[in-house]
Amino acid sequence: MAVAKAIDNFHRVLGRVSRQDFVGRAEELDRVVVQANRSNQGRGLLLLMAPAAGVSELLRQAYDQIFNERSDVIPIYFAFTRNETTAVSTAIEFLTSFLQQYIAFRRNEPALAEASLTLQDLVELAPSSDLEWIEQLARLYDRIRFSNDSKELVRFCFGAPQRVPLRAGRPFVMLDGSQLAEYLDGGVVLGTEALRIFARSRLTFVIAGLRRQILDAAHKAECDFESLDTLKLEQLNDEEGRLLVSRVAQRQQVPISREAEDLIVQQFGGSPYLISIFLQAAREKNTALISYLDCERLYVDELLGGHLYHHYERLLEEMGPQLEKRMMILRVLWETAASEERAVSTEAWRKRWHVSSSDFETVLHRLHIQEFVNWNGPIVDATTGPQTWKDFLKAQYRLDILGEPRALVVADALSDSLKRAPHTMASHYRHLAQLELRGLTAQFNCQRVPAALLDYASFKERYKGQDHRDLASALDADTDLIKLPQTVHVASSIAFNRDMRQVADEEKCVVVHSFDDGVYKDAQEVIWLVAEIDSKLEVGLDLTEIWYERLDSLARLLGFRRYQVWLISNEGFTEEASQILLKRNAHSSSKQQLELLVGRIGEPTRQRVERSDVDEFLMVVPMGEDNELIAASTVEHIARRLPFHPGAINQIKTAIVEACINAAEHSFSPDRKIYQRFRVESDKLVVTISSRGILPTNIGSGNEQTTRPEINPTTEERRGWGLRLIRSLMDEVEFENVDEGTSLKMTKYLLNGEN
Amino acid sequence: MEISNSAVRSDCVGSTAVVYANDYLNKLTGEKIERECRRQLDSGCRALVIDFAETELVNSIGISILLGIIDVAEKNGARIVFADVNNQTVQLFDMLGLTRHVSLAKDKDEALTNLSGFGTQPNVH
Repeated sequence: MAVAKAIDNFHRVLGRVSRQDFVGRAEELDRVVVQANRSNQGRGLLLLMAPAAGVSELLRQAYDQIFNERSDVIPIYFAFTRNETTAVSTAIEFLTSFLQQYIAFRRNEPALAEASLTLQDLVELAPSSDLEWIEQLARLYDRIRFSNDSKELVRFCFGAPQRVPLRAGRPFVMLDGSQLAEYLDGGVVLGTEALRIFARSRLTFVIAGLRRQILDAAHKAECDFESLDTLKLEQLNDEEGRLLVSRVAQRQQVPISREAEDLIVQQFGGSPYLISIFLQAAREKNTALISYLDCERLYVDELLGGHLYHHYERLLEEMGPQLEKRMMILRVLWETAASEERAVSTEAWRKRWHVSSSDFETVLHRLHIQEFVNWNGPIVDATTGPQTWKDFLKAQYRLDILGEPRALVVADALSDSLKRAPHTMASHYRHLAQLELRGLTAQFNCQRVPAALLDYASFKERYKGQDHRDLASALDADTDLIKLPQTVHVASSIAFNRDMRQVADEEKCVVVHSFDDGVYKDAQEVIWLVAEIDSKLEVGLDLTEIWYERLDSLARLLGFRRYQVWLISNEGFTEEASQILLKRNAHSSSKQQLELLVGRIGEPTRQRVERSDVDEFLMVVPMGEDNELIAASTVEHIARRLPFHPGAINQIKTAIVEACINAAEHSFSPDRKIYQRFRVESDKLVVTISSRGILPTNIGSGNEQTTRPEINPTTEERRGWGLRLIRSLMDEVEFENVDEGTSLKMTKYLLNGEN
Repeated sequence: MEISNSAVRSDCVGSTAVVYANDYLNKLTGEKIERECRRQLDSGCRALVIDFAETELVNSIGISILLGIIDVAEKNGARIVFADVNNQTVQLFDMLGLTRHVSLAKDKDEALTNLSGFGTQPNVH
């Protein structure tokens, strides 16, 4: 009741959305609000933002919360915008905003905070207790304004919050978009100047800006870093991103499917800003986002002329205000990005730009702080940046530089993004399904675990096939223990050697720096090289040797003096492979061993998506736990409505079991559910088994068999029989066209004798 | 004599082990049968009978494990017979080629009789 009343009394002042609709930034919001506490008096908080990570709403929500708390803290929010072109006009705008928000707070009139008021209006609205100092401030402002000293005027305006008498309260200033202050004319580097003023005041403040820019500005302003705190603001994680998409779509009244929600989160890299403008465009164009095609059509529209286009075009304009320079930036950037050459000499690049050194460095710096390139002095990497930026560059390059027909560029962009969408999602689902090697190894902290968990041959000999409970007891009783090292750093092997990208997914091969016994001495330092090998069967000798050599070479290349190789595969390793690994003192584990290890040293963070919504015509069973039997049992009852022969019913049951196993094994399903539809017709039973996730590579390529297969009993391949078995058991089998995952439709006809 | 091991039953009749599959042969139950067969071979059994009397449903992973068991038996010089396999399962075994590598018997007794003709002498346990 009290909570409901508090919510009722909560005034939205600057927030663009209600508190309930503000998702994914709870911790950051708390942190900003805490900054305003008296204990932080005089301390500054630098909010280091990833590009398009959406800091503005966070600060507005913080403003509203502090405003509603009605303590002695007076929130002031000011955003540098592209509308102001000079340092002086921006400083004057700050002064006006400050006074306006101050008076709105003091009068407890939220509407005043964003009203259109002149300085004279504000003086008249000032409460009597503040009238004296505000009138004095206005007089001083008039005097300095006409003194032609821009620097003094800027300092006066940004220093105004310091003039608030102590008895009136403590202004808490939040500056947003400090990177934009760099682009203003007027002989003052405003961002640096504002930082200098606040850092030397007794005020508590927050300055938010791009992470690559703001620390640099703080150094230039010679800030005392002992009185500065920092907070990183990254893109939203998958769960937060999905929640944001769902909430914004609901608010904008855009019909949207679950698949589209997930795609949007991945396609925009969890950027709240890009997600929001995309959904705003959906509303404006009255577009439902149900299929991938819906999403990509809108995406391409936006990229070539909508909000996305304007966003990137504005950024390009900031880097090159003149058209000629902009075209040159576009050309060099795209040609370098398309060449996929990661390390280009800065000097070689400069020669292609045909501009002065200072102009070149200014543009390069701006590209760097927007993270469109990585520039470390002598080397530039222009292959970085989000996919949306690359798509924008490519489209504009083709239109503006090559002069290609717009229709062709639009059609190609749409086609490319449609082809990319399933790969984007497949990569995401694979990531979710991974064993989380990073998370697991990061938790190594001198724990003692059964040695059998790191030795597949021993585990197979002693434990494989045991019941879970028996296995847990047996492992508890196992006295042959191994002590894990203490991990100090984990990173993908690709971060150490880019060539590893050709053979391993980023998260499937990691390098773990650690110390035995947690003792930080050379003799105790050991680097674990851990790789997960894709295989449905026990991995054989050849593949094992390849992977061992790969990691061994990497260790030698990187000069690791003492290292430990650990290979992991779903089903472990053959006897010969295990022997080789044993000889080379390498560890080996199956997925089951890894899961047992996780259970003993702690669960790594794993993002699992739980979905509860089901279509009313579907029966949904969770994957695993022999739940395929539930599907088999259900279909048996349904099939009995038709006069099927018992043998045919058994064939249907077996086919469904196989389809469920296939769905569980191959789809990397995000929701771990199997959707089933049963349709009884007069002469047939049609069963559709669907799952979300990826489309297996042998499906949809046009290469799948359409006739009943011959199964070769002598083949070494003893898995992957499921689909062939299904085709043998059912009369018609086809994959339905879906955006992601699989939908397998199986039909069994009544025979003449049965009908 | 009945030996219980993690829900897989087995008997020893002389040097022949009879391992009983349960109602659903999948990865887990297949691995249990494999484990029990290996145990029996390690303890000196010369022949194996896997009794499918209770088995209603099998899946392809279960069948792949059975192929592994056949391999292991061959490597150990042991004979192996599948007993009491229902018609639908026989059909699957045929499709996947198992029946070319293993003998089928109507039931456990017939399997034991067949094996006794191939020199597996009863042992006293």
